[in-house]
Amino acid sequence: MFLASFFEALFKYDFIQYALIAGILVGILAPLIGTVVVIRRLSFIADTLSHFSLAGVCIGVFLSKLVDWKIFDPLFMGIVFSIMGTFIIEKLRGFYKNYKELSMPIVMSCGVALSGLFISLSNNIDSKFTSSLLYGSIYSVSTTDLITIIVITIIVFIFVILTYKKIVTLCFDETYAKVSGINVNLLQLALTIILALVISLFIDIVGVLLIASLMIIPVASAILVGDSFLNTVVSAILFSEFSLVTGFIISYHANVTTGPVIILINVTILIIIMIIKKLHSSIKKAK
Amino acid sequence: MRVTVNNLTFAYTQKLVLNNLSFSLKSGEFLTIHGKNGAGKSTLIKCFLKMLKVNHNAIFLDDIDINNIKQFNNVGYVPQKTEFNYEFPITVFEVLSCAYVKKRDAYYTEIVNAFDLNKIYHENINNLSGGQLQRVFIARALLNKPKLLILDEPTVGVDIDNIKTLHDTLANLKKNGITIVLVSHDMDFCSDLTDYYLILNDLCEYTFKKAGDGNVPC
Repeated sequence: MFLASFFEALFKYDFIQYALIAGILVGILAPLIGTVVVIRRLSFIADTLSHFSLAGVCIGVFLSKLVDWKIFDPLFMGIVFSIMGTFIIEKLRGFYKNYKELSMPIVMSCGVALSGLFISLSNNIDSKFTSSLLYGSIYSVSTTDLITIIVITIIVFIFVILTYKKIVTLCFDETYAKVSGINVNLLQLALTIILALVISLFIDIVGVLLIASLMIIPVASAILVGDSFLNTVVSAILFSEFSLVTGFIISYHANVTTGPVIILINVTILIIIMIIKKLHSSIKKAK
Repeated sequence: MRVTVNNLTFAYTQKLVLNNLSFSLKSGEFLTIHGKNGAGKSTLIKCFLKMLKVNHNAIFLDDIDINNIKQFNNVGYVPQKTEFNYEFPITVFEVLSCAYVKKRDAYYTEIVNAFDLNKIYHENINNLSGGQLQRVFIARALLNKPKLLILDEPTVGVDIDNIKTLHDTLANLKKNGITIVLVSHDMDFCSDLTDYYLILNDLCEYTFKKAGDGNVPC
């Protein structure tokens, strides 16, 4: 009954279909990139870029009210700011040799401040819009957004397939990657730009506050069960897809924001895996 | 592969580490580098691997300045355990297949068999012993048919039986004409294979001597 009414609505309304397709694609992209982010110990960068990307979205909203130029589309501005954020972080890291991590809170604070400023400058922004920026509103995904998401998913997939061996080698042993002739700087730059692209896409879906969770938590669960790189990526995608689809159905029926529900399901999966792992090792020790 | 180091000097921002270091090796020769922590062993290896920028005309591989080498096709490197991400969820199969640019072929299978990696082929590297791990890394280094093999402290965390296996492997590689540069704290390991010793100290002084020419200073 619960599912039947969801599927009935799914076939009836375009916006639910768009939302589900966008969700499924993001459910693949987030853990795919998230695995590299977690393994390279860059978890905090996702959070930082999402906040800086928010500044781009808010500036886009402000400017698009002033002039009707396509270039100021909030999603596009979010992508631009996200990519800019990666370069600013890299520059700031050069200034602080011993406190490199300082670059992240600086960029994050700057992003939050700019967002606040441009939200207050843009008249007629209601609390619903602000809430959708913070916690996402996947049901508002437009045809243009969906096409952008599909294009970026295809780009990321082609990139990952073509550079899979190099990415794994870089994550595992950076020195060997350099010695074996991989252009580490270029690969890192490409990965960071892809991270920035993916993050700015997520703002619509899960919102700024939850982006990092969508990338990190399924991977945190997968690392506990995966015994190979491929296995870890596939497990992370499965956990992510399960939480996305379940989160969709629950939030639709409970009439609540989808993003937080998805993340809470992810956290539940993580806790269950931790408990099973603990029990398993206790039983093993007892034997 | 011939290796020539010509007045190599390297300093970090405030500290001189290598000062006018010069030596040369012919193809198939075995160099063992000793020295206390901080004497510059790792720095020298990083210079060889172009991880650190060195002056022009300071290091030559087969008479080519390493600054003019874009890609090290002929250099194999076996890292210390602390240098790679050993918590990474990766199997032996993934480590090897990702390092092998070509499709897996007869040579790949030959290396896997030579290092007896079949039994641990699908094991996560976290589950391997120190000796097994070294076998995996040497196999990986040899996949691209190097003419120069650089090993950084390969005996750390390896039991006596596996040290013996490692010794025999290196002896075999030397016989096949591969130039070997070994950094080791263990003074006895491979002393029979060593052609030259390079001893570094923390005063930026060095001794380069032929094996058998008197005692090796610690």
